[in-house]
Amino acid sequence: MKSFGPFAAVFLLSIANSACQPVLPTTRVHGLVYCAEGSPESFNPQLVTSGTTIDAISQHLYDRLLDINPDNGELIPGLAQSWTISEDGLTYRFLLRQGVEFHQTRYFSPTRTLNADDVQFTFGRLLSVQHPFHQTATEYPYFDSVEWQQLVAKLVVLGPYEIEFTLSKPDSSFLSTLATDFAAILSAEYGAQLISNSSMADLDQLPVGTGPFLFRHYQKDVLIRYYRHPKYWRQLPAMEQLVIDIVPDNTKRIAKLLTHECDVAPIPRLAELSLLSQRDDFVVDAQTSMNVGYWAFNTRMPPFDQVKVRQALSYAINKSNILQAVYFGQAEPANSLLPPNSWAYDKNLNIQRYDPLLAKKLLAEAGYPEGFQMDIWAMPVQRLYNPNALKMAELIQADLAQIGVRAKIVSYEWNTFRRKLRSGEHDSVLIGWSADNADPDNFLRPLLSCAAAISGSNRANWCDETYDELIAKAVHTPVLEDRRAFYQQAQQYQAEQMPLVPIAHSKRFQVRSRNISGVRINPYGGINFTAAGKSL
Amino acid sequence: MKKLRLYYEEHNKGPFKLLWKHFSQQHFAFFGFIMLLLLLSLAVLTPFLTPHDPYLQNSQLLLVPPSWQNSGLVSYPLGTDDLGRDLMSRLMAGASYTFGLAVLAVLGSLLVGVILGALSGMSKGVKSSVFNHLLDLALTIPSLLLAIVIVAVLGPGLMNTIWAIMLALLPQFVHGVRNAIQQQLKQDYVTAYRLDGASQRQLLLFVIFPNIWEQLVLMFTMALSTAVLDIAALGFLSIGAQSPTAEWGSMIADSLDSIYLAPWTVALPGLMIFITVLAVNLVGDGIRVAMKKRREN
Amino acid sequence: MMFHYLLRRMFLLSFVFVALTVFAFSLGYLFPGDVLGNFTGLRNISPAEEIVLRQQLGLDESYWQQYIYFNQRIIDGNWALSFSSQQNVLDEIINVMPATLELASYALLISLVVGIPLGIVAAVRKDKWLDKLISGFALVGYSIPIFWWALLLIMVFSLTLGWLPTSGRLSVLYEIPTFSGFMLPDILLSNVPYSEEALFDAIRHLLLPSLVLATYPTTVMIRFTRESMLDVLEQNYIKTARAKGLTRLQVLYTHGLRNALLPVTRQVGLQFSTLITLAMITEVIFSWPGIGRWLIDSIYQRNFPAIQGGVLVVSSLVIAVNMFTEILHTLLNPLARKF
Repeated sequence: MKSFGPFAAVFLLSIANSACQPVLPTTRVHGLVYCAEGSPESFNPQLVTSGTTIDAISQHLYDRLLDINPDNGELIPGLAQSWTISEDGLTYRFLLRQGVEFHQTRYFSPTRTLNADDVQFTFGRLLSVQHPFHQTATEYPYFDSVEWQQLVAKLVVLGPYEIEFTLSKPDSSFLSTLATDFAAILSAEYGAQLISNSSMADLDQLPVGTGPFLFRHYQKDVLIRYYRHPKYWRQLPAMEQLVIDIVPDNTKRIAKLLTHECDVAPIPRLAELSLLSQRDDFVVDAQTSMNVGYWAFNTRMPPFDQVKVRQALSYAINKSNILQAVYFGQAEPANSLLPPNSWAYDKNLNIQRYDPLLAKKLLAEAGYPEGFQMDIWAMPVQRLYNPNALKMAELIQADLAQIGVRAKIVSYEWNTFRRKLRSGEHDSVLIGWSADNADPDNFLRPLLSCAAAISGSNRANWCDETYDELIAKAVHTPVLEDRRAFYQQAQQYQAEQMPLVPIAHSKRFQVRSRNISGVRINPYGGINFTAAGKSL
Repeated sequence: MKKLRLYYEEHNKGPFKLLWKHFSQQHFAFFGFIMLLLLLSLAVLTPFLTPHDPYLQNSQLLLVPPSWQNSGLVSYPLGTDDLGRDLMSRLMAGASYTFGLAVLAVLGSLLVGVILGALSGMSKGVKSSVFNHLLDLALTIPSLLLAIVIVAVLGPGLMNTIWAIMLALLPQFVHGVRNAIQQQLKQDYVTAYRLDGASQRQLLLFVIFPNIWEQLVLMFTMALSTAVLDIAALGFLSIGAQSPTAEWGSMIADSLDSIYLAPWTVALPGLMIFITVLAVNLVGDGIRVAMKKRREN
Repeated sequence: MMFHYLLRRMFLLSFVFVALTVFAFSLGYLFPGDVLGNFTGLRNISPAEEIVLRQQLGLDESYWQQYIYFNQRIIDGNWALSFSSQQNVLDEIINVMPATLELASYALLISLVVGIPLGIVAAVRKDKWLDKLISGFALVGYSIPIFWWALLLIMVFSLTLGWLPTSGRLSVLYEIPTFSGFMLPDILLSNVPYSEEALFDAIRHLLLPSLVLATYPTTVMIRFTRESMLDVLEQNYIKTARAKGLTRLQVLYTHGLRNALLPVTRQVGLQFSTLITLAMITEVIFSWPGIGRWLIDSIYQRNFPAIQGGVLVVSSLVIAVNMFTEILHTLLNPLARKF
């Protein structure tokens, strides 16, 4: 090594300097570090519903046919330049944008730009059992839960940049589905390359898309590294590098933010918000978000198959206590799955009140005067709709003890938790949902429909014909007012049957260093750092 | 008032009194000793002394600051943690876990170590030498590693880690006892006793042990500081004490989430551990110096 | 004679290693869960695979035979797979070991460079205020719980002042290819354009963990060197040397140091085991990607094959270091040689 003296001097200076103002070395100015709360399960949004995964991969690696305007929730053109809908509402024709380049990575070099074949490849995977990649995934949870495969009857390529979907019945939420993060467009050429290499699993693990960033490296539970896509069809990102640092522990995440090891951190603990907003070098962004945290009962397991029992339990919990202790007042109490800012929200829904005496009475009527034992499964991680499920479970446990129900709190490591939940081992679970678009169907169907009970996002395992009929009618109607009426009926029915108890709609927060700009929270989907900029 | 000495008499104090005299002359060591006595009584009497129940949660009083801050309450002198439990009561209860259990673990290890050390110290030959070296080398496995293995086999929990700590402390006791005994065996008065016809057992009980007890006490204090730190560390890593047990190390781990809002919930249990270990080390140092002084006189 | 001594040591060493492998082998049975899973690390074993594996491991033969197979697999490098990553445990250990070794060696270096001189100064100035100050610091450092100390330093230097990072070895924005696994040499060997920045960054990341880890060994060095030095200074040959007319410094240097530092060598070896324990805790707090954090994560995930492999490696390391320092001590110290 060269002489130590000047080395030491510069070193000491650089440390002293950073005490006053972070003087960032050149590399650090052109790279953004985002501290995520978990590892992605896959690099293909078709296969997942987890918010953590979607945040990490969706808006960065891929584009969709349509996008959602974050300001007003309206649909805007994405990879599809324009589209037409037939009179009967069954045929949708899309005209694709030209000159859209795919990623060039260490494992793939594209020879052509995006065309209709790629769109067919992407959606054909979901629709056609003969598609070579159909079987490489066990399920497509979002699409399964909205029965998309039954909805789309035909998918035809009309020209190099023209493609046509034909539906089996009219569906007003079809376009919204194409705008969700799950409808990312993949590369057919890459698929062909993988088939000839016999490495088909790479489609979901070494991703290729058209998005603003391309995949460079992934180390499980450690980090994801993206480079800027130099030929992105929209405005190029200002950041050369985007690194997603995986930090499941909340305290460590905030610590990394405070030392500027991370530039942006999501879902800060609500208790620390006031602390962080007091510091000059950080900014707390808030956004009313489309989400709901709820307590779902496994309606296939007795005694939760009885409406009276579920109603009793819903009267037994003190929601305002929970809102204060868990959400620190930064959330609205929920009476329905839909948040108040949804256009289908029913203002006249009965407000759930806290009535332990009524709860006891109902329990006795249902045949459990002495109460019973049950599990409450609580997520070990912080999520947007529930910042502290374990604490919430403790509060509920104490409330339930008042009516004679003895609850045990169960928790596992997050991926193990989701796995076990999928196999329906739970009595009840504290979980939630964040919207993928502005359509109410996005809440009501994936959470409580019969199809969703099979695909797994219906944690209450609830399958009710009346409810399914109501939401089906709602999507078949093109007129907004009629749709709203059906949705309100559905919400009222849900409140009567109480397969789950909606608890709160949380505001969404994120904390960033003051020198970071252009990272607003997207109320309708995953985070997006395309427009992120860093100043010195 | 000093004792009036009318006649010239030789006052020969017994070894224990001499040691005590030298020990108590060191102020710091004596102070440490008082601290230890306080902690020991706390460990034993905690159930009667705590102002509140250390495990009672109170959702109305979360993260109350200590009473000297504006928003603090006198009824909760050191504040509350994130589940509303009184911190002072938990700290007092923690004495019985972190300190009390450490004392018990070291006592247990000492007992077994003395037995094994005596056996190996009194025996001679290749067998004993092999056993000694084996023990030296093989059981230098780090205490944390031993704890991990035991926890992997038996599951996490305070008692399981106590076994690990006892095992980890064993070799130094065996080694120390053996060395001390072998040193004693070289002494003339031991030969004298042997010539007198003392059996091995009599030799051990009446000649050797009275001469090595102070080394045993020294080893005890050294092991005690290690034991306290180990219990706390294992509790901190959630390998040992599990929440809601009020062990100081696991209290720190539980409160890490609130470190920004309530740094006292992290600082105070750590302070207790520090004070305890400091007191033990002060006493240990004091004993060592006292022993040296007594020898010199 | 020296040869005989070494031979006896080697014989003992191999004996201890045998005992260690027996212990590691028995863990496969002691850990909860399926024995086959514990030994191979595979999760969902199909019935066909099971038959093959049972034969390979010799599960239907005697324990002695299974132990032979186990040793064979260890020597071949055919270790079990980790439950969580399904990678060979040996490969994973080789990946994480350098980080721990790097941290431990810097900490040890600090303790020697800082601890020994301070210990000598304290001995020479016995009972004066300098001695009291140094001894006081040493006592405090010796008594402080390492995780609390780390948290305090983090709270001050990272969270409040923002000078130093709290975790990892290097900022995630720097991509440094791995040559040796040791961060500083790797940065110097790589030819990335930002190697200077990366070097500063790596040192900033090293600072707090090394300081925290070095605290305990430094205080042990101070206390031990002071004791040892005091013992030596009282010896007759020192008084003789002074009587001869040598200055204090000369006496110190020629006679004092060599004799005082000998037991220190031995002490380093004995302290290594504690150092490993402390390194593991330090790694967890600073998210340092070394074997300590890896092992502790394994216990959280109930990753039994990983624990088995890790215990084997770390114990072997400790035993080897102990043996090495003992031999070194015997080499340097004529009095310890029994031949």
